[in-house]
Amino acid sequence: MSANRWFATGNFFSTYKEEQRIFQTNLDRMVFVLFLTALFVWPLFFKLSNKYMLVIDNILIAVVAVYGLNLVTGYAGLISIGHAAFVGVGAYTLATFSQLLGDRHVVITHAWPLMILLSGGMGAAFGAFVGLPAMRIKHLYLAIATLSFQMIFQWVINSMRFFDQGQTVYVGRIYWLTGMVGRKEHYFFWYYVILVIVVLLGFGVRNLMRTRYGRCLIAVRDNDRAADAMGMHPGLTKVYAFALAGFFAGVAGALHAYLYRGVGIESFTLHQSITYLAMAIVGGLGTLPGAFLGPAAIYMLELQVEHLAEYAGTIFTGTMNLATALKPLTFGLVIVLFLMFEPRGIANWWRIVRSYTKLWPFRY
Amino acid sequence: MSYFFQLVVSGIVVGSIYALSALGFVLIYKSSRVLNIAHGQIIAAGAFITYALTVWAGLSIYLSFLLSILITFFLAMSVERIFLRRLIGEPIISVIMVTIGLMSIIDGLVYLTPFGTENFSFPEFLPKTPISFGGVSISWTQLVGVIITTMLIGGFSWFFKRSTIGVSMRAVSDDQLASMSVGISVPKVFGLAWATAGLSAAAAGSIIGNITGLNFDTLHAFGITVFPVVILGGLDSIIGAVVAGIIMGLIQQFAAGYLDGHWGLYGTADVLPYIILLIILLFKPHGLFGIHEIERV
Repeated sequence: MSANRWFATGNFFSTYKEEQRIFQTNLDRMVFVLFLTALFVWPLFFKLSNKYMLVIDNILIAVVAVYGLNLVTGYAGLISIGHAAFVGVGAYTLATFSQLLGDRHVVITHAWPLMILLSGGMGAAFGAFVGLPAMRIKHLYLAIATLSFQMIFQWVINSMRFFDQGQTVYVGRIYWLTGMVGRKEHYFFWYYVILVIVVLLGFGVRNLMRTRYGRCLIAVRDNDRAADAMGMHPGLTKVYAFALAGFFAGVAGALHAYLYRGVGIESFTLHQSITYLAMAIVGGLGTLPGAFLGPAAIYMLELQVEHLAEYAGTIFTGTMNLATALKPLTFGLVIVLFLMFEPRGIANWWRIVRSYTKLWPFRY
Repeated sequence: MSYFFQLVVSGIVVGSIYALSALGFVLIYKSSRVLNIAHGQIIAAGAFITYALTVWAGLSIYLSFLLSILITFFLAMSVERIFLRRLIGEPIISVIMVTIGLMSIIDGLVYLTPFGTENFSFPEFLPKTPISFGGVSISWTQLVGVIITTMLIGGFSWFFKRSTIGVSMRAVSDDQLASMSVGISVPKVFGLAWATAGLSAAAAGSIIGNITGLNFDTLHAFGITVFPVVILGGLDSIIGAVVAGIIMGLIQQFAAGYLDGHWGLYGTADVLPYIILLIILLFKPHGLFGIHEIERV
């Protein structure tokens, strides 16, 4: 059958190959390409101030981290309350090199793509280790294992003199083909690096889900006994899910360290772990667009909350810092409300809008 | 040697409070299979309510203690009613994440009050001179704390063993469908489990607040330390929670007494429970008293 690449009603697939295409219609592909071009091109025309550029870079780094959290929580169905700690493992891998070799050593400034990969590897190793109890027990206990990893991680960093007890460990400026990346184009440069990584890893996740290794994650989530009967090893699959999540988190951590040119414990606390969870839930667990929409929505919300706190600070001259109170309050509310009223997240709105516009003016 | 016994005494004091707070956690888990991540925040809230009633409203401390556990009883019940009741039947993962959200909400609410940033301490209402025998001393607040804790734990055990509601709670934890068929209202039991958990958490929080002073960070960290305790005891065992609570208190005190200051270590009491937790999860995941599920996946 000559496939109708613009199909509108129903999904009729006659081969598995057709069903597993990355873009199901030409329209999908066109929209994606346009979106991607826009992402690559806009910084050349609009010059944002460093403050907002930093927010956008942060969103993209969070996208990388949320890919990982999405794999472990969304696709494999295991709660991870320690994702920020895995991000921290990546960042502190870099900090270790910086402390051992000096923050301007050639390994850090020139071989940074390797360092990012290495951080990912370290994250994966730690992820696999924390996931090890999965060989024997079910997911409730795993949530506690990740929580305890978070606590241990914070304690270790806070008490190690090697890492300045959680104070900032500096990481030097990096070199690109044209020489050192200076202060002016720092955020601009990292925007492109992170964007490329986001796109690559995004295709990585999408393609993983087309292979047996990705599908077995979903199979184990939906029914681990059935998955066992089908010949998968549920325990190993869970360990592997944690290792994957750790890899993504490690990469995000290294990017964070390079972007901020330093590593401090305050970016990898339990609070941050909850923020990542909020991003994954708000975006939509177990969906790829959700990994973009969640971080963007949460960072926008955070900006608005900060504005609101500043504004309220001018009216009520209280002693307390309103932002510290409002941030957890809004995040908590957002998590709870989304879980109660839209458990499938913003990605579901996107799906609804898409199917509505495709079929308009017909209902179905 | 008296140093050793001193550590034992303070370990038992801390441990009995762990036992009390773990009790509430286990209750919720037993009846509805929900890990209540926000337990530490409820503990802190209970302590703050007691303080507010004592100092700001000027009530006697015993009265405000009773009032506080009553208020938290209804607060926890309404939390269950508002947030968790409509999630019955949803995948358990989203229920647990709702408790994570709740934790964040209560954090935010506490930061809106002075308790979020400042430290308070309860007014002295007991004799200041500690009781000592043979070089081991225990302060009056600690002693009263242990007595109240023991009484509460005893009361809870009686409640589960003998009273109709307690028996129906145990029935629900055993088999929801079967207990529904004999006329037990499962949602009501869930609400009651949360309410009792809130009650015990508030009691634990007030006792800790009296012993160590009110600091939000230490108080809600107590709630996270409950995790190692319940894992050691077995997630669904009430006796396990009590025994493991005291073991964990002893371990923490010994770590603080013998490890800190050597080999450049400090604050080991804060991290040792979690290391133990990871080890238990690897080698004896159902804890000391937990039910072994045969299913192995």
